[in-house]
Amino acid sequence: MTFASFIAKNALRNKRRAALSILSVAVSLFLLVFLMVFLRLLTHPPDTAGAELRVAVRNKISITQQLPARQRPVIEKIPGVVAVTPFTWFGGIYKNEESTTFAQFATDPLKLREIFAEFKMPDEAYAAFAAERTACVLGKLSADKYGLKVGDRVVLTSSLYPNPLEFKIAGIYSGSQDDKNLYFRQDYLDENSEVKGQVGMWWLKVRSAEDMPRVIEAINKTFENSSAAVRAETERAFQLGFISMWGNISLLVGLISSAVVFTLLLVTASTMSMAVRERLREMAILKALGYQRPMLFAFILAESFGLAAAGGLLGIGGSYCLFTYGDIPKLTNGFISTLEVAPQTVGIAMAVTAALGILSSIMPGLAVMRMSVVQGLKALD
Amino acid sequence: MLLTFKYNLRNVFVRWRATIATTLSVAMVVTVYVLMQAMAGGLVKSSQNTGDPRNVMIVRKGSPAESSSIVTREQFQLIQFLPMIERDEKGQPLISADLVNLINLPRHDGGEANVTLRGVTAQGMTLRPQVKLVSGRWFTPGHREVVVSRKMAERFASCAVGESFKTGLHKLTVVGWFDGSDSAFDSEMWMDADEARSVFDRESFSSFLARVSDPNDVAALRERLDADKRLTLRVDSEVAYYSEQTMTAKPLRYMGVVLATAMSIGAMFAAMNTMYASIAARTREIGTLRVLGFRRRTVLGSFVAEGAMLSLLGGLLGCALALLAQAACLAFGVRFGTMNFNTFSEVVFQFQITLPDLLKGLVFALAVGVIGSLPPAIRAARMPAIQALKAV
Repeated sequence: MTFASFIAKNALRNKRRAALSILSVAVSLFLLVFLMVFLRLLTHPPDTAGAELRVAVRNKISITQQLPARQRPVIEKIPGVVAVTPFTWFGGIYKNEESTTFAQFATDPLKLREIFAEFKMPDEAYAAFAAERTACVLGKLSADKYGLKVGDRVVLTSSLYPNPLEFKIAGIYSGSQDDKNLYFRQDYLDENSEVKGQVGMWWLKVRSAEDMPRVIEAINKTFENSSAAVRAETERAFQLGFISMWGNISLLVGLISSAVVFTLLLVTASTMSMAVRERLREMAILKALGYQRPMLFAFILAESFGLAAAGGLLGIGGSYCLFTYGDIPKLTNGFISTLEVAPQTVGIAMAVTAALGILSSIMPGLAVMRMSVVQGLKALD
Repeated sequence: MLLTFKYNLRNVFVRWRATIATTLSVAMVVTVYVLMQAMAGGLVKSSQNTGDPRNVMIVRKGSPAESSSIVTREQFQLIQFLPMIERDEKGQPLISADLVNLINLPRHDGGEANVTLRGVTAQGMTLRPQVKLVSGRWFTPGHREVVVSRKMAERFASCAVGESFKTGLHKLTVVGWFDGSDSAFDSEMWMDADEARSVFDRESFSSFLARVSDPNDVAALRERLDADKRLTLRVDSEVAYYSEQTMTAKPLRYMGVVLATAMSIGAMFAAMNTMYASIAARTREIGTLRVLGFRRRTVLGSFVAEGAMLSLLGGLLGCALALLAQAACLAFGVRFGTMNFNTFSEVVFQFQITLPDLLKGLVFALAVGVIGSLPPAIRAARMPAIQALKAV
């Protein structure tokens, strides 16, 4: 019998206990990965294609203050700016929903395509969007959720504008960060609104990444002392600013993750102690046969590490497969559209697993090392 | 025949080394659950606590919140002298046209958030007596001065009395702090209404708050305003309006249940492990009990009861931990902030543990104990008595 098979036999001697321990570690690591992925979503949103060339411009007071439409030609003239579109939040509520379940923005169809080139939609859909004033394009997730297709009409009641608007779906896009939104035309909104010439934000594309800092500075400077001072920033900075409004939610998730890790440590450590206590007599016999203390410790360590690793593999692997290949929008009822398991997340979870295996062997290991042979032989259970 | 509870209870304590991990893991489940619910409860309370039953909130039809509503000066003229609206001792109607704006401000700890800045009139302050000045002085009408909720001032930069911050082109000076008695106003800053309209270059207002002579007049006022086609206004009692502004709490509650369920499954495996080991170690005892005449179902019931006790102990510990966390937050003045999606602005809240939350937490614990100890208890009950007696 080799040492390896001795350890394996010991670990699996009580199969039920081994299975229960592995499962509880697996459940906890699954939760840990989920919480870390969620936390990452709150603090480091995934990069979007084309983000490095996009600039968001909002009113300096706050995002809810509007901007005058007359700013557009001024921004367009700034060297390095390739395309500009208005981006006005409509806050529409679909049918009998309680609140806004997907975002709607009023835009300039042609520029939208140029700025958000990652949207996948046939050319004729774009043509239809540009040709008809009441046209809109809808993200695939929302289209699937509400069973809408090209040619359908959608009526949305706004929480901001007095008149409900009816849109005709010109196309259904996918490939964006969050395929839920509806985009329609700013001119259609203007026509139905009592306040004309106001937009929510500007989104623009710059020629190259090198132009970015200069363009941002130029925009901020241009409107600095006007009645509508703006804040221009990269898409990334804009996202991060938005995310920081979540406030203490990330702290909360962090605290819960620690509680989960702590619980997990307790459970595994107790299982290991239990397994060793049952075997004190055997350990004493091994000692009497001449096995050194470090060797005994190594047996325990290897067993505990093995159990933790098996649980970790199951939990981390399971969560990775579910979040990478599972239908996340469906599972979370449209609340979250993607859960990205970053390599760092897997790394941290693996480190926790390893630490778990090592730490939970310390207490029983020390007990065995300290015990005298006679004491051990006397032990009953 | 029933086994005494004492037997099981003593077992839980005698084998403390094996039980402590299970107890603590159950305690963690309950703590996480109760605290998540307490956060949701705190969010709800942060706005539900607001309003006077005699006050009515009037916003534009279709606007879910003041911050997205626009009401006009003409509308104000049309409604201010309606008979349902109470007059003060000088004969002036008790109605206030407020302007609510969201301004982006940096937090102390980095990051930023939208803060509700309310332009309020003297009548508006009379209508909200729960807001009391705690430091500095009130703003002077006609000056660019703000009074900040103390709870907000602790979270945001440049909000100490005497400091100032810029919004757009204008500089606003903080001249005082107020306390909103745990109402939604604790998440606001106040300034003079006319001054706010000039700072934000607005002709119109966001909402009207009025006092009716009699709570029954709310319906009468609603009817009167609905009848007038010039006015597309929604009338709500102030209390009802604020109790609707709590959307953010739902995902928190939901997440609390999901997390606690997932953690319970892990804890259940741990409880099973403990009970299996505990029963294996007591094989001879079980044999003795059976020989003494205790029935199989008595043994089963006794071990399930032991598992339940074990986890209830953990549950109670978890509740105690959660209450301790709440007490510590209260003692050190720790408050949390997040975005309310209804108003799109920062809301300050505090843990709010309620008895139902604690009881639900204990139900979680009990479920872990009962389900976790059932398979081991069945095993114990099925043991042949003589064989069990022979076991080492």
